[in-house]
Amino acid sequence: MPDSNTSQPIMRVEALTKKFGPFTALNGIDFEVHAGEVHALLGDNGAGKSTLIKILSGVHKPTSGRILIDGREAEFDSPRDASRAGIGTVYQDLALNPLMSVTRNFFMGREISRGPKPFSWLAMDEMARITHDEMVKIGIDISDPSQAVGTMSGGQRQTLAIARAIHFGARVLILDEPTSALGQKQQMEVLKTIQRVRLRGDIAIIFITHNEVHAKLVADRFTFLALGEVIGRGTRADLEGEDIRHLMAGGANISDLQKQLEAVRLSGRAAS
Amino acid sequence: MSQMNPAASGRREADRFNKGGRLRVLLRRPEVGAFFVMVVVIVAIAIASNGVALNPLGLKNNLSIIAQFGIIATGACLLMIAGEFDLSIGSMIGFAGMSMAMMLKWGLPFGLGPATPVTAFFLTLAMTLAIGWLIGFTVVRSGLSSFIVTLAFLFFLRGLTEVCFRLINQSTQISGLPDYKQESWFAWIFGGESFGWLYDLWFALGGNLNRAGEQWVTGLDAKVVWWLLIAGAAAVLMARTQAGNWIYATGDNRESARANGVPVDKVRISLFMLTAFCSTVFAACQVFDTNTADAAKGNLKELEAIAIAVVGGTLMTGGFGTVLGVVFGAVTFGLVANAVFFIPAIDGSYYRVFVGVVLLIAVFLNEGVRKRITGGI
Repeated sequence: MPDSNTSQPIMRVEALTKKFGPFTALNGIDFEVHAGEVHALLGDNGAGKSTLIKILSGVHKPTSGRILIDGREAEFDSPRDASRAGIGTVYQDLALNPLMSVTRNFFMGREISRGPKPFSWLAMDEMARITHDEMVKIGIDISDPSQAVGTMSGGQRQTLAIARAIHFGARVLILDEPTSALGQKQQMEVLKTIQRVRLRGDIAIIFITHNEVHAKLVADRFTFLALGEVIGRGTRADLEGEDIRHLMAGGANISDLQKQLEAVRLSGRAAS
Repeated sequence: MSQMNPAASGRREADRFNKGGRLRVLLRRPEVGAFFVMVVVIVAIAIASNGVALNPLGLKNNLSIIAQFGIIATGACLLMIAGEFDLSIGSMIGFAGMSMAMMLKWGLPFGLGPATPVTAFFLTLAMTLAIGWLIGFTVVRSGLSSFIVTLAFLFFLRGLTEVCFRLINQSTQISGLPDYKQESWFAWIFGGESFGWLYDLWFALGGNLNRAGEQWVTGLDAKVVWWLLIAGAAAVLMARTQAGNWIYATGDNRESARANGVPVDKVRISLFMLTAFCSTVFAACQVFDTNTADAAKGNLKELEAIAIAVVGGTLMTGGFGTVLGVVFGAVTFGLVANAVFFIPAIDGSYYRVFVGVVLLIAVFLNEGVRKRITGGI
């Protein structure tokens, strides 16, 4: 393992394999995350990123291989199990309900309430206060926790989903393409949020992205996937810009891509 | 960046959301459209009827129909907020009414002897809740649209009601049952009177007089109390309990609710049982008030319930709506439905013309309100 960190990782994945019938989605993935670190998981479409996070968050079960949490082997039968083990996944759709208020979204399914369930009395003030405080902690001061999520910006929604995952005990935070489908400024907001969570020091972040610029801005460690396998990994210091771009393209050289593009251009001209 | 505006540097994203003053907050309530429509309708009908619609008898008659609408619309509203429809409400009313009246006339099934209002009601309720559960279970398990599943039950239950009537009763009507509400307190809470003290007070204050100078009207129908109880309980449920949060979450985005651990299937099944409960209460009020039943009872009530929920600001696709809005919607709808009785100059069929117009106006208003609240979704 090229890992020089001596502290125990929060989560370690060993030889993880996932087959869907005859199709091998993941082929022997090794991977680990440490508290206070951002681990960028990069790869093109179809590289196996989604399958990997679905296994880590308990949606799929691996065909073989192990997941270790704090050195102990863990098995997830459902997303609930993974969540209980401290793995919080923030999906691209964020699992937010746009018509409901910020507070109601924050506590959706895990309301603070008193009395016999499910007709128990909601502690709305307490929930609103916690929502506000947790959002402030990672950098967004919402003026009104009773405003509908539909009125928030994409960056604010992302922050809400992250704050919620942390509040409900996530020690490994999986962010699935958090900066895609956002404007430039909101992307920066999300990266700042990631940085603040990182600085807490007790949470490991898995940052899945297409965007090598964003990865380089916040990540401490990189893992590159292509066709279901790890094709490269390293710390921020290990990797230079060209390496990253090379690995992002699934191992192809940028110069190769340029040649291919040139060939297409020439053949197009020849045809016309 | 040399040209940076100093005013802009201190601004945050949060500053863009203007909370506004107290009036603005009030105007952002989801019920505001329904409220204005209701006020306009009350004023218009009071003027057009020369105040007859709001005199002691007019008030009693109006509140009677408003309460009927309100009871079923509350159930329909909660179900719609959870993202589902129930088109079987009207047929369920017919079925429940038939079941109670038939037990009272012909005795309990399986030779269990003569029925009392208590046994007739609770046996019927057990059946309707079971049917409600079955509808919910079918919707949840099959993944079919509740529109289709409950449409099937609309036909099924209406047909079943008629068949039962003909087989056992030889006629699709039952009339002339004993006046149970005189002896049985249980029948009285459905078919009796309520708010007698209010009318006594009105009389004591010099109003509520008939031509002979005696007290004219003695009280409102008991169903008004049922309406207030059901609407009050539903309002608290939606605004202040965990179950309410689950209902909103289920209707807004079912998959994200499920991902956050909301038991969306249980929520939906329970709400189909709630609409069955509301239909049964509606039927009990009718049976114990008039001592009759008819296979056609409750016809088209499901569409009226949905229309009232929509007039009250409930979103057809779920996730948005309030019980208070539906209270306003029921008042609006009930007044419009009854208007033809208080304004003798107009043809009775104008009822549906009014309903259509009010429905469209209210929906346009509510759309505007909702977009202001939710950021244009």
